[in-house]
Amino acid sequence: MKLYDKLFDAEKFTLTNGKTVSQKFTRMPLIILMLLIGITVSVWVTGFSLTMLFTNITGFWQILASMFPPKLSYFFQVWRPLLMTIQMSFFGSFFGSLMALPFAVLAASNITNNRVINLVVRFILTVVRTIPTLVSALIATYIFGLGTFAGTVAIFLFSFSFVGKQLFEYIETVDMGAYEALTATGADTPRAFVTTIFPQILPTYLSTALFAFEGNVRYAAILGYVGAGGIGMILNEKIGWREFQSVGMILLSIFVAVVIIETVSQQLRKYLS
Amino acid sequence: MIKFEHVSKTYPNGVKGLQDINLEIQDGEFIGIIGMSGAGKSTLIRTINRLNDITEGQLTVDGVEISGLKGKSLRQYRRKVGMIFQSYNLVPRISVIKNVLSSLVPDMPIMRVMFGLFSKEDKIKALEALDRVSMLDKAFVRTDQLSGGQQQRVSLARTLAQNPSVLLADEPVAALDPVTAHEVMDDFKRINEELGQTVLINIHHVDLALEYSKRIIGIRSGKIVYDGPVSGITKDILDLIYSKDGADK
Amino acid sequence: MNKKLETVLSKEPSRRVQYSITGAILLILLVSSSPALGGANMTSKGFEIGWNILTGIFTPDTSLLFGLGDSGVAYLILQTIAIAFLGTLVGAVIAVPLSFISATNIVPRPVVLVTRFIIMAIRTVPSLVYGLMFIRVTGPGPFAGVMTLAIVSIGMISKLFIETIEDLDTGILESLDAFGSTLFQKIRYGILPQLGSDFISILVYRFDMNLREATILGLVGAGGIGAPMIFALSAYHWHQVGAILIGLFLLVFIVEILSDKLRQKILHG
Repeated sequence: MKLYDKLFDAEKFTLTNGKTVSQKFTRMPLIILMLLIGITVSVWVTGFSLTMLFTNITGFWQILASMFPPKLSYFFQVWRPLLMTIQMSFFGSFFGSLMALPFAVLAASNITNNRVINLVVRFILTVVRTIPTLVSALIATYIFGLGTFAGTVAIFLFSFSFVGKQLFEYIETVDMGAYEALTATGADTPRAFVTTIFPQILPTYLSTALFAFEGNVRYAAILGYVGAGGIGMILNEKIGWREFQSVGMILLSIFVAVVIIETVSQQLRKYLS
Repeated sequence: MIKFEHVSKTYPNGVKGLQDINLEIQDGEFIGIIGMSGAGKSTLIRTINRLNDITEGQLTVDGVEISGLKGKSLRQYRRKVGMIFQSYNLVPRISVIKNVLSSLVPDMPIMRVMFGLFSKEDKIKALEALDRVSMLDKAFVRTDQLSGGQQQRVSLARTLAQNPSVLLADEPVAALDPVTAHEVMDDFKRINEELGQTVLINIHHVDLALEYSKRIIGIRSGKIVYDGPVSGITKDILDLIYSKDGADK
Repeated sequence: MNKKLETVLSKEPSRRVQYSITGAILLILLVSSSPALGGANMTSKGFEIGWNILTGIFTPDTSLLFGLGDSGVAYLILQTIAIAFLGTLVGAVIAVPLSFISATNIVPRPVVLVTRFIIMAIRTVPSLVYGLMFIRVTGPGPFAGVMTLAIVSIGMISKLFIETIEDLDTGILESLDAFGSTLFQKIRYGILPQLGSDFISILVYRFDMNLREATILGLVGAGGIGAPMIFALSAYHWHQVGAILIGLFLLVFIVEILSDKLRQKILHG
């Protein structure tokens, strides 16, 4: 940026009363140039082509249209894996959020006064969060075998890292007054934490956990794709067999389930905040 | 000259904003309008800029009946009558100078408007307006970095840049702390004295109104109950303007 | 004073009831969710694979990791970024008009209900399903990935755009009105500058998410770094798996830091 300002002179303004001000050369050309380069490279790398999109997009609509009307009778095969998906999400979110709590406390520099522990725990949270859930599910199927357990593990890992990060960042912003007062009376760290910090973070903690759960239900629907259980398995199967009306039914079921869960969870979160 | 003749304003829901207002405001006056909240101060000021329409009577500015103005003629009229609000109404995430420049937009050709190409003269105009409220050094700072008082000054500069002959201000210092409020009021005073612009300010702080205005208009329940010099304000008159029991609907 | 104490006291037991009910519900849900643990048949082979992946990460295939060819990690990362970048842009192009016709301060309620329902429906379909559908349009490869991300982005982008639009400060428009601006001038200088930085910050955020999303598109053949990882996994090429995982981690990590910084700058100057 310094070089840029040296290359392009600042504009000088002289007021009628003799005062002068100068404005740095606008960054707009630089931003536009970078965007253009980004777009060009991306189009080139991905083979993006609007003409191909517009000529072939009918294929997309055809598949979409062939999902209607959804095959309602298929619901009797859908509900069990759907329920399984929700169970996986719930189990994974619950234990993930539970495990996130001690890690968040260790990562928060205002409670755990040890820079090394803070950094190590944060690094663990970051690494786990960085691995996409589907990738961890895939790896889990290799380790734990195909089935719902692998999916639950993947959801557990995601919830753990997501809630852990949100929570430790929140803990670092809480009011420390009461905590310090209590440690001053001789209370040890865990006791002081439970009585002063925990009540402050509880609503946010629960709300974050619920939020993770909401997202997980949506996400768990595709875990079956790598063999990690749930509704994704039959979804994958039906797409493969081109039974699109059944696919439509599966998507409709997911839609209804997600709407219900999100509505309930959003109400709960509103209540918490 | 601004002239109200038997002006009344009734809102669609039946609430009477103004009742039979008669006023004559000469060019270059500094007028403070006082009254309880809901008395009609805002309505009075806003009718001059036609942000509120009157329902009865005549309101003429420089001999022109303004309720007849429409579209382009109304916009041209508004160029002459600057308005400042309690909320500064600045776009927070752009630079101060861009906010000031936006008041010059109505006079610019369409292509320049579309791409935001401001001429050097326009920029200097904006900078001079900022200089007048001692905000020149903040010209290229993002507006959301400024304090409330500074933002109100930028808002004032934006209005000055359009070079209006009348300045209307609707509770411009209500959201500011006393010290900053004085600073902003000083700006108004200086502008009134140096540029000779007519200034009409709504203030609910009586002491500020008395300190800065030359003429006071007291409003209660949409009616003018006092109109005269600051020296004429007595405790009785203030009681009349602000008495609670008299606040009839 | 007595009354105050009473009300405080009366609050206390109700809390306890509340807690125990919540606890009971959670417990029931948890027990009834236990089938989620099904299918775990961890054998010694599972351990071995886990260990292999771990060693793979610490002894990555360096020719893959540092390779500059079409199959090298660098190119895969570039491709993944390109998919996420274009996907976000195309998604934004669709989401902007959709958001304006879904904002309660712009269009009437019934329209909002319809458009929001559409957005919700678009959001429900999992990305991999879109991926499979787009492969029929564009053939397998990164192009399908771009379109998939464009569609899955719409939901979140428009949700946040709508919030921004509904939060517009109308006072600014009133000021613009007061100095004689036309409708077009009000949109250009009153609305666009208000929306601009929020929109860009939302897009940066979504780009960050799309990048994670783009790493898994390879599963359905829609390009990105995911596909070679699956091949490496199923072929038990642990050093390659390690190399790709390292690349993936660095990619997501660095982009997250950069996008956070950028958004901070956009939103707070």
